[in-house]
Amino acid sequence: MSELKQSGIDSFKHNIKSAFKSFASSFLRSGKPTSDRSRAAAVFNNFFLHVQGVKTHINTLRPAYTLGLGLISFFLLIITIISGVLLMVYYSPSIEHAYNSVKDINFVVFAGRLIRNMHKWAGEGMIIFVLLHMARVFYTSSYKNGRQFNWVIGLALLILTFGINLSGYMLPWDQLSYWALVIVANIIQSPKELTDSLGITGFFDIGGFSKELFLGGLTAGKESLTRVYLLHIMLLPIFLFIFLGVHFWRIRKDGGLTKPDVFEPKAIDAALIALPEKKGGIFPANKTYGLMELAHGKTPVVDRDVENTVLSWPNLLIAEAALFVLCLAGVIVYSFFIDAPLKELANPMIPENPAKAPWYFLGLQELLSYSAFMGGVGLPGLALLGLGLIPYLDREEQHLGIWFSNKQGKRVAIESLIASALVIIGLLAFVINFGWFRSWWPNVPQLLITLINPGNIWVGFMILWSVYVIKKTGSTRMGAIALFTMFLISYLIYTYVGTELRGPNWDFFWSRSEWPIH
Amino acid sequence: MKGTIKKSFFILLLIFLISQQKGNVFGADAKKSASGGNDNLGKKIYEERCQLCHGSKGDGKGLVGVMKRSEKSGRILEIKPRDFTLGAFRFRSTPTGCLPTEEDLVLLVDKGIPRSFMPPHKDQLTKEEKKAVVEHIKTFATRWKEEEPCKYIPVKKPRWIGSKKSVEKGKKLYKEMKCWECHGETGRGDGPKADLQKDDWGHKILAFDFTTGATKMGSDPENVYTAYTTGLDGTGMPSYEDSMKDEDRWHLVSYTLKLMGRVK
Amino acid sequence: MRNRFFSWILFLSGVVLLIFTLIAAYREMTPEWKKYQAQYKEQIIKTAKDNAVRQKAGALASEVQQIYLGALNKIDRCVSCHIGVENPMMDNAKLPLKQHSGDYLKNHPPDKFGCTVCHYGQGRATNKKEAHGIGHDTHWDFPVMPLKYIQSSCTQCHDYEMLGAKGYDTIAKGAKLFTEKGCRGCHKLNGIGGALGKKLDIVGSQPIAYFPMRFVEGERNTYNWHKQHFADPRVLVPESQMKISVKPEETDLLATYVLSLRSGEMPKDYRKIKGIMTVGKPDEGEALYKMFCIACHTDGKQSYFDEIFNRTIPAIVNKAFLKTADDKYIKKTVEEGRAGTQMTSWKTAAGGLAEGEINKLISYITKERPSAKPERFNIAGFKPDEKRGEELYKVRCALCHGKKGEGELGINLRNPVTQAADPEFLALTVRDGRTETPMPAFGKKGIGLTEKDIADVVSYVKTLSKKK
Repeated sequence: MSELKQSGIDSFKHNIKSAFKSFASSFLRSGKPTSDRSRAAAVFNNFFLHVQGVKTHINTLRPAYTLGLGLISFFLLIITIISGVLLMVYYSPSIEHAYNSVKDINFVVFAGRLIRNMHKWAGEGMIIFVLLHMARVFYTSSYKNGRQFNWVIGLALLILTFGINLSGYMLPWDQLSYWALVIVANIIQSPKELTDSLGITGFFDIGGFSKELFLGGLTAGKESLTRVYLLHIMLLPIFLFIFLGVHFWRIRKDGGLTKPDVFEPKAIDAALIALPEKKGGIFPANKTYGLMELAHGKTPVVDRDVENTVLSWPNLLIAEAALFVLCLAGVIVYSFFIDAPLKELANPMIPENPAKAPWYFLGLQELLSYSAFMGGVGLPGLALLGLGLIPYLDREEQHLGIWFSNKQGKRVAIESLIASALVIIGLLAFVINFGWFRSWWPNVPQLLITLINPGNIWVGFMILWSVYVIKKTGSTRMGAIALFTMFLISYLIYTYVGTELRGPNWDFFWSRSEWPIH
Repeated sequence: MKGTIKKSFFILLLIFLISQQKGNVFGADAKKSASGGNDNLGKKIYEERCQLCHGSKGDGKGLVGVMKRSEKSGRILEIKPRDFTLGAFRFRSTPTGCLPTEEDLVLLVDKGIPRSFMPPHKDQLTKEEKKAVVEHIKTFATRWKEEEPCKYIPVKKPRWIGSKKSVEKGKKLYKEMKCWECHGETGRGDGPKADLQKDDWGHKILAFDFTTGATKMGSDPENVYTAYTTGLDGTGMPSYEDSMKDEDRWHLVSYTLKLMGRVK
Repeated sequence: MRNRFFSWILFLSGVVLLIFTLIAAYREMTPEWKKYQAQYKEQIIKTAKDNAVRQKAGALASEVQQIYLGALNKIDRCVSCHIGVENPMMDNAKLPLKQHSGDYLKNHPPDKFGCTVCHYGQGRATNKKEAHGIGHDTHWDFPVMPLKYIQSSCTQCHDYEMLGAKGYDTIAKGAKLFTEKGCRGCHKLNGIGGALGKKLDIVGSQPIAYFPMRFVEGERNTYNWHKQHFADPRVLVPESQMKISVKPEETDLLATYVLSLRSGEMPKDYRKIKGIMTVGKPDEGEALYKMFCIACHTDGKQSYFDEIFNRTIPAIVNKAFLKTADDKYIKKTVEEGRAGTQMTSWKTAAGGLAEGEINKLISYITKERPSAKPERFNIAGFKPDEKRGEELYKVRCALCHGKKGEGELGINLRNPVTQAADPEFLALTVRDGRTETPMPAFGKKGIGLTEKDIADVVSYVKTLSKKK
């Protein structure tokens, strides 16, 4: 009778005393991860972590395999978002106030200058690491074996990364921002070169229309800033998150990261991981459930081994934590020493000369200097198309998970590197010293230049060389290696030329110190 | 027989006496007799074109008088037409103290003198006419009858003209030879003695401002070298033929060209 | 150890992160101005005479000080370091704590005016380098102005005349020089002036990129540019045709004036201007002459060949010229200018002078016209022989006036005004010459051409503009 009489008040008192514990256990349902089972549950039951598998293959954890590039890109994104939100507290997106608000962030806001620097360098670092990540994925053939669509999603993420960086570049409304905006608007208008040559601009002015849509008017002004801000904080990030979500989802669905067909854990791997307690899966039976284990497929897989995997908690998570702190430390150190540029207030009467897009677009701007249409629309479009088609044109399933596939792959890559460097530098030297059609025949029709210019010649060579490689090696993978390597080299070289070797009036100079001072 | 010898001697003496002229056979006088009839042409051209400035007596006191010229720095030059009666000429190819050659004078008539008011006559006169007018000009000064013209100084430009080393050496020489006393430290013609200079006619004359970039004699290295070697007779600019080695004069030319902005 | 590799990376990066976060935090917490505010506090406490002041000083917060000027759309944070600017106790202190000199702050209280409205500089900055705008990398077009030019800021609100009367010599003398050196002969201000040079209306507010800075000595800012440009225009702008010769101290005065020509208007309650802001147009003929003509024509009595223009500038206040030229001709020349030369057209639509002003100018120029009239030349009585005139021109005139009359050592004859001139005027000039210029008399008093010769030449001269 006394137990029944444990009245409401007593149980209430008891509940209060154990409130904290019960809260904690409602929050951390699986308890401390002390056994393999609880470690598995910690990942599986967690909202944020369960996109990752409960177990991770050892190959995934090897730094030399992925170099952590995808993760670094993601962490840079996190840093950019957090610093970006902090900046939004003070930034004012109107042309009367934007510049001054950025100045106030620099001068008055506590750690404002540091946070702005972090936002800028993490954001631009994303571009570098996203490109490197793309290269890694390519060279390890990780676009095959069901991962084709994820490659395409990755391309979409690449475009969004460029877009977000570009729109952010225009927000301070200083001379750099304003003239980059003008340049980009003109790039957007580049189809006009083609429609003009064909004489159809009158009824199909896609170039002019796109430019007006982008600028919110005929010239860069207050409407443009509003639109660019909208793109930068809302529209592009939303798409970025959606695609990122799909990207991560697909990693799991496609069976995690790629690994070589024949995999042997080495002694060195011991430094990376806590070795599994026993061989075989968590579950003694050779039966695994697709959800919890690393398995590839739609149905529960029976009689399948999951060896060479380790628990994600703590192995994967500590790797991720280490990488995140490394990333953050790198960004803070870089931002501590190097300030994000801020020039004079935007002045439409005083053009920058040279007026340059941000560095990651300067390779494109170099191509633009040959032909507006080809550089702005044609060749970038072709490049993206080419990249997107890679997984569909190369469907060989050998040598997955191995950098450069094999010795032949390495050789093809080196040969393509050398060939492309020579051809690009040769074309540049020619154009810089002798000019092109219009310098020799001032009245040559624009269409001819649109069709035949150094950019087109380069792309043509790329395609021909790749086809030649396919023929010689009999393998589409080798052709793909050749094509991708050449794409990387051309992006590198053209970006370098556009950044360091082009001065006022887009003339060639060996160094900035040679630029004529006005 | 004796009579023939006496007669021949007399005739020979007569011929000898008659054939004696003032001066020698070569040179100005010989030419004069050769083109004796052309003095009318020269006189006519002189009266039509030159008398305006140089005066009927060649003394520079023509109707035009003094002309003013404003340099870029704002300094005003007062330019008077040349007085031929002294026979002192600035722009020659002969050593100092000597008369110019005929080529020198014909060249002046042909090209004029830049940065002065002497215009070029290249298209207006034929070679004959130019020679004729030069002949007429020679009649204004007695020096032409008394002196022999000297030989012109050959000019050979070395290859290193305008090189950095040469300019440096020239700079040192400029200091040593005290060019700065008249021409100033920066070559602007504002040296301490610049104000005291007078030309041979007693008029104040300004030291040349190199920074204006072009000299009256012509701005090629050869012209500048000639100026230093022959001196500009009639002005305060002496000849450095004796006081400086040939090579040194060329170094000075390099430095001068630098002051004129014609060499980087 | 488990996960040795990643644990190490995590640890080391964590250490670096912590260190740099701490260093960054330290850097953020010790900005430059804190040091100066601390010094200020200390000085007051030391020199205070009574306790109340000492206590107040002790209670001073250490924070960014700023002056928000809504009407001027500015925020000036200069007082974060220049904290003692209004404090008489700081009279003998060192910069930046020193009190502002003079009693300017009495009439220009900082909370209404701030600092940058007079001194320029980057008001929003909170460190010396960027606040003063020192160095190209601060990307600030208007660094703190050298004090010698400070009076250029006064004219944003005050009249030039008032400033001159109160003894602000730099700006007053600068403005006077501007009116007396003929600057507006080539430069427009308020729409009035010549067209050879750039407009001066907002030149004091133009950014650094507006000026060619390549050959500037010292700091590449607009202050140095203006001073060095006045000293010798062709050093900074090699192709410049600007005619100026002023003493070195006058370059500072002119620079002050030119820097006072700013864009933008101060709000009404800041302005104390009675009339127009810029130096107005003078009224009398002589002042007009000095404002517009004197830079090229100097005193006008003699002509001279100008090496910058590569052309002879005629003598216009020359007795021989005035004797033969009538007012109509002179007025026409002034109004229309001389096309093809540097002589601007001054009519209202072009140079901007009103007709009354042009008339005053003409009466000044013709003030010393000799009363004796020249002997008349009955040019109408001659039948013109252009061919003969051409021959004569080629021999007598082309050497100075150019084969096509384009003017070399002699003046240009092809321009519309000279072409439309009264033929008698031209004939008189040829016959009698122009004393005090190189133009000799060609008539019987001079070279000895006959009247028929002269008539022929004049008739040929009149055809010059038709020849290409």
